[in-house]
Amino acid sequence: MHLFYLREAARSFRQHRGLAYTAVFSLTAALTLSGVLLLLTHNAEVQMQALGDRREMVVYLRDDVTPSQRDVLVGRLTDLYGPVTYVSKEDAWKDFSKQLGDPSLLEAVPDNPLPASLRVKLRPALLTPGAMDLAAKQIGEFPEVEDVRYGEEWVHRLDQIGATLIKGTIAVGVVVALAILFIVYNTIRLTVLARRPQVEIMSRLGATDGFIAVPFVLEAMFEAGLAAFLSLALLFGVQQGLSARVVGLVFLPPTYALAFVGAAIGVAWLAAMLALSRVLRAVGP
Amino acid sequence: MITFENVSKRFGERLALDNLSWHMDEGEAVAFLGPNGSGKTTVLRLITHEIQPSSGKVTVGTFHARRLRRGHRALLRRTLGIIYEDFRLLNDRTIFENVALAVRIAGRFANEEVIPRVMYALEEVGLQLKQNAFPAELSAGERQRAAIARAIVNRPAVILADEPTVALEKKSAEEVVALLRRIHSEGAALVLVTTRREVADGLGARIIHLDDGKLVDSDGQVMPSGVAAPARPPVSDPSLAAGSSGAGG
Repeated sequence: MHLFYLREAARSFRQHRGLAYTAVFSLTAALTLSGVLLLLTHNAEVQMQALGDRREMVVYLRDDVTPSQRDVLVGRLTDLYGPVTYVSKEDAWKDFSKQLGDPSLLEAVPDNPLPASLRVKLRPALLTPGAMDLAAKQIGEFPEVEDVRYGEEWVHRLDQIGATLIKGTIAVGVVVALAILFIVYNTIRLTVLARRPQVEIMSRLGATDGFIAVPFVLEAMFEAGLAAFLSLALLFGVQQGLSARVVGLVFLPPTYALAFVGAAIGVAWLAAMLALSRVLRAVGP
Repeated sequence: MITFENVSKRFGERLALDNLSWHMDEGEAVAFLGPNGSGKTTVLRLITHEIQPSSGKVTVGTFHARRLRRGHRALLRRTLGIIYEDFRLLNDRTIFENVALAVRIAGRFANEEVIPRVMYALEEVGLQLKQNAFPAELSAGERQRAAIARAIVNRPAVILADEPTVALEKKSAEEVVALLRRIHSEGAALVLVTTRREVADGLGARIIHLDDGKLVDSDGQVMPSGVAAPARPPVSDPSLAAGSSGAGG
């Protein structure tokens, strides 16, 4: 019997190709818009995670810290916050010279003014603005610590950008879901009305609303699934085209892609059920 | 099996049926005979619950509610076999698929039963060699036979035929009447609606005359009671039914 419904759906798709292709085209456009934002958000998340991996807190030590005090501090910070790397005054001076590029510029500087420091690579759980703020405050209270720096401004900004992108994606997703609902609802209505003689005959022969409706629902789900795959293909093309210019631009992972297709099909199912519950009552004798 | 009790049906100001009462038992054949607009098709539409009576009660088997829910209405229709004057075949399907659709709609038969049932029905109407033809490729008589095959494929207890010969030329009409007579003789009850006396006589059916929504006798006189006379025992031999069309049935 399931094969029967699939054949009926295929028959309806073939007989009303124009309507079906129009629906697929419209759905693809709407889904591609949503997909673009999803892709941007995913890439932003990936980049922020990568940055997060490199997020370090620089802990400047007081000049009078002894090696044993330093070692105790290193142990404490490792236990509490993550791996710690010690950068001595000399190493700091060497790094600074390299960054400048011309050592002769530093010949006028008599003494090394740079302090020794500890580079703390924070655990992933601490890579949020709130946690980093708190960690910096706590580390600053150690008596061996002169100062703590971690670029709080751009950390906050990155997280804001991430949150904005997520909200934007959700907002666009809701709008696109409504667009899919609207497109599928009206496509199904028009398809049933175009097949009114057949629907009437089936109703007179004793077909239940479910018997009549299932092929239309399958058709709607197929159209939405096809549109979702087409939009993913378009997005993949865009991603491949741009990845040469934008380093690190990645495509959606399989779970995201499947969820994307699944959501489109789910919304189409809902729209078809809503449309059929109304239009069959108007059409069936 | 089918009972109308004081049934009236009004469409706006027009009274399509006026206080009609009649009854038929299982296995009977009843023909509603009258001119166009006499209310014959309204009777069929009331039986199939396509419309509801303005007053009175219609009972079809165990279905007697004034207004059936959509699911129950579909169930009722699956117990009937319906033949339309304009055939109402699906033009995008072959004859086989049209008849098979009725089997699938019934939902009572396994997939492997569909083909034998359809072929048996097509053989009964003489269309087994045209199973892959589309309706447009058949003559009017063949299309009506296909519609009959669709109506009988599920072996319904009652077959409703709305002017089954009106679109047919004489020879095809006679073939269709003979087919319906044979089907009736095999046990199916038959409710026929026609403007042609010879069709009703050809079936050996009890005749109920309608005119302008009212029950009339064979002379066209309105019967005040609005009650069709009860049936004689069902007959399968039309020669035994000669003179069976009495006043009001």
